[in-house]
Amino acid sequence: MPPDTTTGTAGASRAAIELIDIRKAFGAAGGETTYAVDRMNLTIKAGEFFTFLGPSGCGKTTTLRMIAGFEEPTSGRLLLDGKEVTGVPAHQRNVNTVFQSYALFPHLTVSENVGFGLSVKGVAKDEIRQRVQAALESVHMGHAVDRKPSALSGGQQQRVALARALINRPSVLLLDEPFGALDLKLRREMQMEVKEMQRKLGITFIFVTHDQEEALTMSDRIAVMNNGTVQQVGGPADIYERPANRFTAGFIGDMNLIDARVLGRSDDRLTVEAAGGRFEMPCTLPVQAGDPCTLAIRPEALHFVEGEAGGTIRFAGTVSGAVYIGTDTVYGLTLADGTRLHARLRNGDGRPTPQTGEPGTLACAPAAIRLLTQ
Amino acid sequence: MRKVLSLYVPVAALVGYIFLFAPLLVLVIYAFNAGRSTVIWEGFSLAWFAEAFRDRGLRAGLQVSVIVAFASAALATAVGTSAALAVVKRPFAGKNLFSTLVIAPLVLPEIVLAVGLLVATVWTGIPLGYGTLIAGHVLVSIPFSFLIVRAAASGLDPRLDEAAADLGANGRQVFLRVTLPLLAPAILSAFLLCAVISFDNFVVSTFVSGVGSTPLPIQIYAMLKTGLTPKINALGAMLIAVNVLVILIVMGRYLKTVRKPS
Repeated sequence: MPPDTTTGTAGASRAAIELIDIRKAFGAAGGETTYAVDRMNLTIKAGEFFTFLGPSGCGKTTTLRMIAGFEEPTSGRLLLDGKEVTGVPAHQRNVNTVFQSYALFPHLTVSENVGFGLSVKGVAKDEIRQRVQAALESVHMGHAVDRKPSALSGGQQQRVALARALINRPSVLLLDEPFGALDLKLRREMQMEVKEMQRKLGITFIFVTHDQEEALTMSDRIAVMNNGTVQQVGGPADIYERPANRFTAGFIGDMNLIDARVLGRSDDRLTVEAAGGRFEMPCTLPVQAGDPCTLAIRPEALHFVEGEAGGTIRFAGTVSGAVYIGTDTVYGLTLADGTRLHARLRNGDGRPTPQTGEPGTLACAPAAIRLLTQ
Repeated sequence: MRKVLSLYVPVAALVGYIFLFAPLLVLVIYAFNAGRSTVIWEGFSLAWFAEAFRDRGLRAGLQVSVIVAFASAALATAVGTSAALAVVKRPFAGKNLFSTLVIAPLVLPEIVLAVGLLVATVWTGIPLGYGTLIAGHVLVSIPFSFLIVRAAASGLDPRLDEAAADLGANGRQVFLRVTLPLLAPAILSAFLLCAVISFDNFVVSTFVSGVGSTPLPIQIYAMLKTGLTPKINALGAMLIAVNVLVILIVMGRYLKTVRKPS
């Protein structure tokens, strides 16, 4: 497929998809309507690799299915390339989908599968043959044209499914947990390949996954979802380093979440009570004394200290366990009030590490703590 | 004692098979009898097969049966397939009731259906003939085509329809290019089974066939009155052969579709 030259930096700000106040009801429980997707407002830019990330049942797949046209929103509007597509059936939307189970047609050969979209649009046979060959070669499947999907491995079926979708030159490609059935090694390989393909083609990719690592490595932007609502939208670094709330903080990567309460503030310095101790930290959030909040600390930001090192946040407790995981060891620390922390330390950096059952003190820089108010 | 017990199963199976197939076996053997008797063996001959072909009444009956079998099977398969697809693929109110009603002819006494059909025919003034015969056979075969196609359709991945629509296929194209080819083996099985059911039907045929449209089973039954000859046996042997062939095709297809998902 020739790279699309119309998109690029100039087209990057154009909206590919706009979701305006989208709601999708999925039945009434006890007289109260429940929503698979609730009041979603999102703009996905053209040429972007955008990911919906969340646990199963969070509404990410429902969102994707509404964009594809397999389901209609209960209320709200959906714009594709600036045109309203609410109520437009799936076969009239310039959007193609790579399904979780691939959904290749079992009665057709690989080349007939890939050529299906062109064939139903009445493209000439010669052109179909050429474009099918080119599309299959772009996914390294040029050798399998006459095979049936059942004769292919999962990874190969995945490639055919990609070719089948991309051959139609959609303005948006939707991918619904496409690597879920692949083993880890193949999954990494396909992630790299799909990312590379997206960069080359400049097509908007909308990706759905529950795998946060996959989301972080592949996406330009991520929408973290839970219970049908968007929790946070941002780049991988935003999401990982500056989680907006407790859900995002707990869902993306490992995180220590400690219940806390604001004691007082002076200018932009805050005094917080947590886990039986008092901490001072910089904060620009509009919080008042007495407000409940959460301290979020990455396990890798914590390290063991001995004696009185100044200027750091310290948690004293008893080491409750250590798990060796190759490059690092993860330590558990139980504080006096029962709060459990875990710290991830590099092996063999020469620092002293306490044994299980011994008292230990974990510390981190104030800047490594993120204060969450919801 | 243990030895006696271990013999129980094969012996029981053998007795069962004899009970099931001995009458058919005797019928087929006496089709090759040289004499006129259907009980006394007088030597090997193929003469009765020739006789069967020569009998005008039987030929006419066979012709009626074949025409009615194909026509009713085609109609019953079309209706059964449509109903099955509606039940599997579309949401609608009263789906369970609908399914039950479609299958109902299977459990209703056929004689009641037949009487009902005759009464309806008389009441509407429709003359008895091919039309009423085909209609009656369609009625009794629809449950079979419905059940066969429904089983196959519910085994299809609903994502395939979505994938086809996603690639730009409209409803008609999805049906012709995806649903129909995938269901073709089941639809063919349904057609063959319906044809056999029509071919074998006696009760409904007795009531709704007219003059000049007497199907084979009724014709054979009528011959009882003038006395049985091995001609009937020869015809029976040929019918068994055709039916076994159809059943083998249907079963073969069925086993294939059952084994596929594993």
